[in-house]
Amino acid sequence: MIELKDIHVTFNKGTPLETPALRGVDFKVPTGQFVTVIGSNGAGKSTSLNVLAGIVPVERGTVTLGGEDITNWPVHKRARMISRVFQDPKIGTCEDLTILENFALAHGRTAPRGIRFAIERSMRAATAERVKVLGLGLENRLDDKVGLLSGGQRQAVSLLMATTGQSSVLLLDEHTAALDPKTADFVLETTRTIVERLGLTAVMVTHSMAQALSTGERTVMFHRGKIIFDASGKERAGMKVEDLLHLFKKTQGEELSDDNLLLG
Amino acid sequence: MSLYELLGTLETGFVFGLVALGAYLTFRILDFPDLTVEGSFPLGAAVCAALIVTLGWNPWLATGVAAVAGFAAGWTTAYLNVRFNILHILAGILLAISLYSINLRIMGGPNEPLLGVDTVFDTFGGFGVAGYVISPIFLGAVTLTVLILINLFLHTGWGIAMRAAGANPSMAQANGINVGSMKLFGVGLANAMTALAGALFAQIFGAADAYMGIGVIIVGLASVIVGTSLLPSRTILQATLACIAGAVLYRFAVALALNADFLGLRASDVQLVTAVLVALALIGQVSGIGIKRFFKTSKPK
Ligand SMILES: Nc1ncnc2c1ncn2[C@@H]1O[C@H](COP(=O)(O)OP(=O)(O)OP(=O)(O)O)[C@@H](O)[C@H]1O
Ligand SMILES: [Mg+2]
Repeated sequence: MIELKDIHVTFNKGTPLETPALRGVDFKVPTGQFVTVIGSNGAGKSTSLNVLAGIVPVERGTVTLGGEDITNWPVHKRARMISRVFQDPKIGTCEDLTILENFALAHGRTAPRGIRFAIERSMRAATAERVKVLGLGLENRLDDKVGLLSGGQRQAVSLLMATTGQSSVLLLDEHTAALDPKTADFVLETTRTIVERLGLTAVMVTHSMAQALSTGERTVMFHRGKIIFDASGKERAGMKVEDLLHLFKKTQGEELSDDNLLLG
Repeated sequence: MSLYELLGTLETGFVFGLVALGAYLTFRILDFPDLTVEGSFPLGAAVCAALIVTLGWNPWLATGVAAVAGFAAGWTTAYLNVRFNILHILAGILLAISLYSINLRIMGGPNEPLLGVDTVFDTFGGFGVAGYVISPIFLGAVTLTVLILINLFLHTGWGIAMRAAGANPSMAQANGINVGSMKLFGVGLANAMTALAGALFAQIFGAADAYMGIGVIIVGLASVIVGTSLLPSRTILQATLACIAGAVLYRFAVALALNADFLGLRASDVQLVTAVLVALALIGQVSGIGIKRFFKTSKPK
């Protein structure tokens, strides 16, 4: 289980650029749950994921993982339990290293790294098998530098890397946003399959309401640094995009003003 | 150029090959432009000379301790950067300046002659071959050994972690790599190699000198830039070999420039020649990536 308790984050505090990004976020994800997150630009979705991953320090509040307070843990220490796929395919993989070396790096997230060769035969075989499932022919390019791959291929590799080893929480921040629609569908479908197969606790930020409602088992909406809506089970099952918009208008007294959110 | 001069040039070329490997590690692998070397090169020389002369240590042991001292210097620079967020270049300058004073302390003066004491080169005295032939062979072997060790290291679990930490820190962190520790270790390692070079250099020339670090950073960079722009450098093995070749080529370029009577250059013009060579290499380098970007501002459109 991963939990944010009364999280407050303000960027550039005490300067004219002061931006309150999170204003008291309470967000609890039980083990094995797949949650989707929506909200307009600047609502605080990415900041919440960054707080979970440890990239953004909190001003107030606590982050717990499996009951343990990890609020002050550095990013690399949390990475053993929390893995992520970034929006930008360039961030998730290291382009100067080969596909295999990237997987070796990801392997080291949960297994000890050492003064042994990073790549042995068993890893090559295991990696080939895993990337083969993608059907992109990457199993024949294991020694190619990742910089030679397309954005979609890199994102697929990022996803497999993030689900290497036994870290239990997967954070996805609009990880299909930079891809063309077809590739995006493919990566999303792969995400669903992997999360289900490994029984991961997953949090996925998306800009598509339809996608949010059709993926995972729960949807939360952020607005101005707070969670304003949280639906799961039957309530969510019968929900359509129009219902979401209506609900937003009712609770916030304004129209949702984000064209991206309305699409699809 | 006589055979004697040729071998001598080769000798210093190999020594500076170690400096070039260090520069490769910091500038190319870690993305950390490190200026500590201006201080850690003479530090290696000073520590080694002081241990041999004042304390009568075995030269091999003294050389090893010199490398450890270099590691400490590099580690300190990286620590200032990682822990206190001091700009890497500035942290290196701070260390180089303080090492200048520290080196004077270690030697108890501006220099420490190695006269009448055994150096690592005396180990090979009994082979019946002239010293000026043995020492370039020995130094070539040392430099190649370091090259092989670095190549092996950069393919270990830690090694690829270090490469990722330099190339893509966000990704490295997200994969559980402590980027700060990697910098501490990597910059330490690079300065250990530089101090080793300094210790060997002092033993070749029979003295350690507080001023011998001037321009070392440029020599290291020149070697990396010249080597990797002239020779293929796609793999780590190719790139590291290119760095050493660059160091040797660079020494020859300097020797030739100084030898060419029509240019009218003196030995003291070495620094100027070096700087001009580096500037020419930077101007001529086509690719916008690599070391160049630290030192060239982008062109106004
Ligand atoms: N590093 C930062 N420095 C300053 N302000 C920031 C920073 N990161 C985010 N913000 C601000 O914090 C607020 C929340 O940003 P956040 O990135 O969490 O939004 P988001 O919900 O992910 O939006 P989007 O849908 O556009 O990605 C915004 O007002 C943003 O401008
Ligand atoms: Mg965002």
